[in-house]
Amino acid sequence: METNEVLEIALSSGYLLLSNGAEAYRVEETIERICSAYSLECECITTANGVFVSVLNKNGEKVTSLRKVRNPKVDLYKIELINTFSRNIQDNNISYEEALQSLKEIESAPEFSFPVRIFAACMTSFVYSLFFNGTVFDSIISATISIGIYIMMDKISKLGFFQFLEFFFSGFLIGLISMMADALLPFASEQNIITGAIMILLPGVPLTNGIKDIIYGDFTPGFIKVGEALLIVVAIGAGIGAALTLGAGVRL
Amino acid sequence: MIKQIILAFFGSIFPVILFNIDRKKIIWAGFAGSLGWATYLAVYNFYMPSVALSSFAGALVVGLYSEIMARLLKTPAVQFSIPGIFPLVPGIIAYMTISSIVKQDYSAATYLGFQALAAGGAISFGIMIASTTTRLISMITKHDTD
Repeated sequence: METNEVLEIALSSGYLLLSNGAEAYRVEETIERICSAYSLECECITTANGVFVSVLNKNGEKVTSLRKVRNPKVDLYKIELINTFSRNIQDNNISYEEALQSLKEIESAPEFSFPVRIFAACMTSFVYSLFFNGTVFDSIISATISIGIYIMMDKISKLGFFQFLEFFFSGFLIGLISMMADALLPFASEQNIITGAIMILLPGVPLTNGIKDIIYGDFTPGFIKVGEALLIVVAIGAGIGAALTLGAGVRL
Repeated sequence: MIKQIILAFFGSIFPVILFNIDRKKIIWAGFAGSLGWATYLAVYNFYMPSVALSSFAGALVVGLYSEIMARLLKTPAVQFSIPGIFPLVPGIIAYMTISSIVKQDYSAATYLGFQALAAGGAISFGIMIASTTTRLISMITKHDTD
């Protein structure tokens, strides 16, 4: 394989990892593994939304390339596939066309369909409402709210909207609907509905990945991810707080 | 108690579908959640009724479980640690904090807010210690990290 082709494969793998929510050390390890499989020296830096790779070609010139991630999402299955792919390259040096082909296959790997994901979101809220000692009625209301929230979040994230506003708005809606349910239905409890419904919004992935990045010494992406997670929590809290304050004013 | 552990199992399975996990590994993610919550309950009821300490113990067990499973199934550890900490998240305390702020009961809000912060920090620290320990072991035995 030519230097440029190795660079392209390594960069594409790194890009796919980063855009599907992998930790920074995994991205760097994968790129270094692919480059060293073709006996190239490489330097690599990962930030929260971009990868930089620099390799030495045969003439001793440095070739640097970067790619930016615009719409990151979480897809654990693709991370696993790329992990296997990079080990495969390490064990048997495959050709450029083969590598491109398998990267293309990974990119179009199967996902759960939209109805299945809605069902999962709905059941998450149902289970957690019960888990925090709610009744079945609370769980059903909570599950209904989370169907609406999940569909809304999916549509808004496709628009590339400012993400903290969408979390604030989701929190606001959750607070508003559960307060109305509490006031209108005698058997519903606001607390259990809210605790169930916010579970699908929680930033579990940025938090755990950020901590892992910090452990591995990648402070730049690590603190950015932890900060992002904290901002999301604050946005949800502010949304719910705004709705509850509004409700408290109405009741008085 | 048994009911809560079973609910924790489902509470780890459903959120992980949103993250598109490999279908064959969903059930192992569920066990991560039950194991973490069982540890939480055991520490809370039989050792010391402290939210932070119990969350720490739960997260530590989840972290160790996911690192072990990651090596057995040859897959990244995050697939099990992310769903595993879902039941430990202090959702109720966070809600009660906001609700006290709305009621302008700031002393209760401070008390509850610090409790939620401590529980969140304890979860992070548990995962951190589990993953640092396994990394240290794999560095000593010269296996490459996964």
